[in-house]
Amino acid sequence: MTMTLVWQSLLAGLANSFIYAMVGIGIAVIYKGTRIVNAMQGDFAVIGGMTAVFALSSWGLPYPVGFALGILAGTATGWLIDRFCVRPMMRRNAEEDAFLLLTIGLAFTIGAAVLYFAGRDAHLLPGLGGSGSVQIFGAFMPVHAIWLIVISLAVVFGLWAFYRWSIIGLSMIAASISADGAETNGIDVSRMRGYTFALGGAIGALAGILVTPLIAVSYQMGLGITLKGFAAAILGGLANPLGAVIGGLVIGVSEAMAVVGLSSGYKDVVALGIMLIMMVLMPNGLLGHAGRKGG
Amino acid sequence: MLSVQAIDAGYGRIPVLRGLSMQVGENEAVAIVGANGAGKSTLVRAIMGLSPPTAGVVSFNGVELQRVAAHRRVDHGIAVVLEQRGLFGELTVMENLRLSEHAGRRATRPEGFVRMDYEEVLDLFPVVREKRGDRVELLSGGQQQMVCVARALLLQPRLLVLDELTTGLAPKVVHEILAALNKLRGRGLSLLIVEQSVKLAAEMTSRAYVMAVGRVVHEVKTGEWARTLADDTLSKAYLHG
Ligand SMILES: Nc1ncnc2c1ncn2[C@@H]1O[C@H](COP(=O)(O)OP(=O)(O)OP(=O)(O)O)[C@@H](O)[C@H]1O
Ligand SMILES: [Mg+2]
Repeated sequence: MTMTLVWQSLLAGLANSFIYAMVGIGIAVIYKGTRIVNAMQGDFAVIGGMTAVFALSSWGLPYPVGFALGILAGTATGWLIDRFCVRPMMRRNAEEDAFLLLTIGLAFTIGAAVLYFAGRDAHLLPGLGGSGSVQIFGAFMPVHAIWLIVISLAVVFGLWAFYRWSIIGLSMIAASISADGAETNGIDVSRMRGYTFALGGAIGALAGILVTPLIAVSYQMGLGITLKGFAAAILGGLANPLGAVIGGLVIGVSEAMAVVGLSSGYKDVVALGIMLIMMVLMPNGLLGHAGRKGG
Repeated sequence: MLSVQAIDAGYGRIPVLRGLSMQVGENEAVAIVGANGAGKSTLVRAIMGLSPPTAGVVSFNGVELQRVAAHRRVDHGIAVVLEQRGLFGELTVMENLRLSEHAGRRATRPEGFVRMDYEEVLDLFPVVREKRGDRVELLSGGQQQMVCVARALLLQPRLLVLDELTTGLAPKVVHEILAALNKLRGRGLSLLIVEQSVKLAAEMTSRAYVMAVGRVVHEVKTGEWARTLADDTLSKAYLHG
């Protein structure tokens, strides 16, 4: 095993880290805004990636339009899920566990819908910045992976500012902390929940579009992505988008090391094993209890 | 200004209020007293639209409130401090206030209404000013209660509903809050106060409704507080003795 090999697989792990982080961020956004644990976040990614693929290859639309359509599809799906599933359940005073079951059910439903409309095939998108690579200290990194990292960081910073400064961001947090307190202070709680799902859908779709040049998108990949995103979000403290990035890094980098040190077959075991150990030892995430409130 | 006519309200299928009626007039301070479980908080929730009445009418300055979504009622000039407070503990004091200030700005108010700004509210509650950068969940109960009143005032209310504002607070804090409210009474703010302490209710208001099992069982009319406090049959019957 050479140092270059380690370095090369670290770089690959870094790119994966940010994909996990993006999915984790979406989970964190939805949890932060609704206290619902969303088990279908990975399916937003499938919807986003698939929509972009079809926009480009079947409808012949330019890349930016396909990109925008993919995000729009995720946003709309999130909003529709709130409008037609979550809201009616809220009105009937559903228990918290019911929402987790709802999102699991939706994960399978969306997988089936994608299979029906898009077929079994896996598809790749062209990378942002083409298919070139840059050499960093002797190892190669696709230009797309650099874009992926930059965009992810921009999303995290944007979300941090949004939740901290904007009235809508604050209202979305407030609505999830105390619905009564929010309603009596002029905040439309159910609208905020709709915004939260739309935002979670948009971020999920963006993750899907960004991953599709690296991993081919197919109808059945949602659950796997969700699990990695979960691991990242849980490490980060579940309600903290910034924490999800750190969680994503821990998982992506450990996976990369496991691939080098053990074998690539242990990759998933490592990610989920870390998640389990973390849940037992640090149930509030790497950043501790304070991390839950942040970002 | 507030008129509640023959409302039924409760939780799901469990009825609590039965045909309850009461009024608060312009520039008036009115108390609701009654034993635990009488339905006082349910009345507050019905007025605010959190537990919408299944029968009867709640109107405010001529507007039928059942047509107004709960989060839109503040636009008409009713603000509340809920029994459960409903603060956003993970947000800072200032973020809590900012949300209410924002909602207060979109409301229209009659000619001559004097709006409150941050400065004025923070002058009323110096502790809130001092803690404005802290997360609300780190404040003491009394401090949190002051944040509640402060944010309610930023909603620019014409009627302020207070559900057990003083319960559990030190006498000194109670007097700070009452002094602040008295200043605002002078500017025409109406109050509807749910109070455990009948003595305090008598100090703060001119008249009262006594509730038991979801109904108004007695009215203390203007000028009757002294007699009511002296006569203990009423408190024996409906209050805590
Ligand atoms: N969330 C709820 N779900 C079902 N029933 C409730 C709920 N909250 C209150 N109740 C019932 O409604 C009745 C009136 O309660 P309410 O809170 O209005 O009384 P209260 O007069 O405010 O009492 P207290 O002085 O203790 O605050 C009680 O019998 C209570 O059991
Ligand atoms: Mg009560």
